[in-house]
Amino acid sequence: MPKDDQKKIKLPRTAKGKKPQYFADPTVDKLLSMVLTLMGELSVTRDRLDTVERLIESNGLFKVDDIEHYEIPDDVNAVRTERRSAYIARVLKTVQDELDSLQQKGDGKNTELED
Amino acid sequence: MIPLSDHSMLAKRVHDEESRQSFVNDFRVHLASQVFPGNFPTYYNRVLPQFIKDKGREPETRHEVRRVMTHDPYYSFWSAMQRNSQEMIWDSVIDSVERQLPELIEKSRKPGNKGSLTLDPDLETPKYHVAADIHLQPGAYHSDQIDDDVAAGAMYDWGTYIYSMGGLGTGNNALGQITYGFFKNEFPDAKPKRILDMGCTIGGSITYWAQQMPDAECHGLDVGAPVLRYGHARAEAIGAAVHFSQQNAEHTNFEDESFDIVMSHILLHETSRTAIQNVFNESYRLLKPGGVMMHMDLPQAHGQPPLEGFLFEWEIYNNNEHFFAQLRDMDMPELCRKAGFKDENILPKSAGSFWMEDQTPYADDGFEFPITMAIK
Repeated sequence: MPKDDQKKIKLPRTAKGKKPQYFADPTVDKLLSMVLTLMGELSVTRDRLDTVERLIESNGLFKVDDIEHYEIPDDVNAVRTERRSAYIARVLKTVQDELDSLQQKGDGKNTELED
Repeated sequence: MIPLSDHSMLAKRVHDEESRQSFVNDFRVHLASQVFPGNFPTYYNRVLPQFIKDKGREPETRHEVRRVMTHDPYYSFWSAMQRNSQEMIWDSVIDSVERQLPELIEKSRKPGNKGSLTLDPDLETPKYHVAADIHLQPGAYHSDQIDDDVAAGAMYDWGTYIYSMGGLGTGNNALGQITYGFFKNEFPDAKPKRILDMGCTIGGSITYWAQQMPDAECHGLDVGAPVLRYGHARAEAIGAAVHFSQQNAEHTNFEDESFDIVMSHILLHETSRTAIQNVFNESYRLLKPGGVMMHMDLPQAHGQPPLEGFLFEWEIYNNNEHFFAQLRDMDMPELCRKAGFKDENILPKSAGSFWMEDQTPYADDGFEFPITMAIK
């Protein structure tokens, strides 16, 4: 069995190296990153919904109307809260990237590697 | 996306992870096919006329084009989206790797015994590797986050597949297919006994060669321990015998004149000016008389018009491929000469998807990789 410390490993999420600035105002760079991430996450959600709808249709498990009147149990609410938190972190990753880069060793510049 | 062939080391994806990767793939397909081509009319209809108005002539070099194109709003927006899509590749693969890492490490500790793995914890990682994370893969190819880490390899397997939009084939081994097909055409009667692939990462190419030539002794070396651990376990899972070792291609511990083929697949542009000469020198040392060196890399600048030359260099400035800028203008035959190869045995070639066994989305696009080939 894996050791406990191996279960908690968090892989780095920000690549080392200077990130180019594409727009005159760096805030626009962040906003674009967020919009593109939102595009992706909406696509993921629609895929998931499509899967759910197809499973309902093929298995006849419940009425789609049941979704409208679903009462959220506490444990489900906890799972959703955690998921939302991860979702927010993903969309706002561009903000975290800036912070991570500030904390990485070196300036990340690699443009003068001529030995 | 075309499916990636499953093997026991491949990180499994749950619903949303697969969906997220599919989105990144489709987004990149859209950028490549619908947005990137717009850079041409942008240049010819907007940037070039302004340049001529200002200077009274057309740009003469790709560097001149870069200075004006990077300020164009269409180009900038495409470039920013392309950069984001590269970051999103890694973001879309990290979750599944992180979640399964303990199991992947356990599996990699008990691979088969067809090939082997030799690590060198004292090997110094060259500065061209540590200065920035190549291709924006967080943590790069050489960093261990935990004992016996394989995460970098597991990320690389999925990440390169998405990067190429499936173009590396269902076995993620298109580059090996190209060099193998090329070699068989150049030397139809050759029966190499010992083959070395330098900078092999997870061994996609050399594992393909080992599958095609089971009687040959196939070696792959890289400076990165986590990609080698993963590559070894991957090769064993696929059933191929490959001997992986953690070494720097500039100076290896193999004996003189001990290989029939010494090759690399898009390794050189990740190194440095001095390193390339060292790699060629080492290739010459390792080859038996009559042995073949084949270093396949990205196209150089000569012959490319200024706009195409500029666009081709996007990854240098936006995807941590900094050294590629210098490789673009280097005299490869001269490096071969300095390494000891005779003029008549230095044979610059190129090879593309024409030589591949599989058909992939790239199979008919005519893209050619230059191969610096020389016979000892």
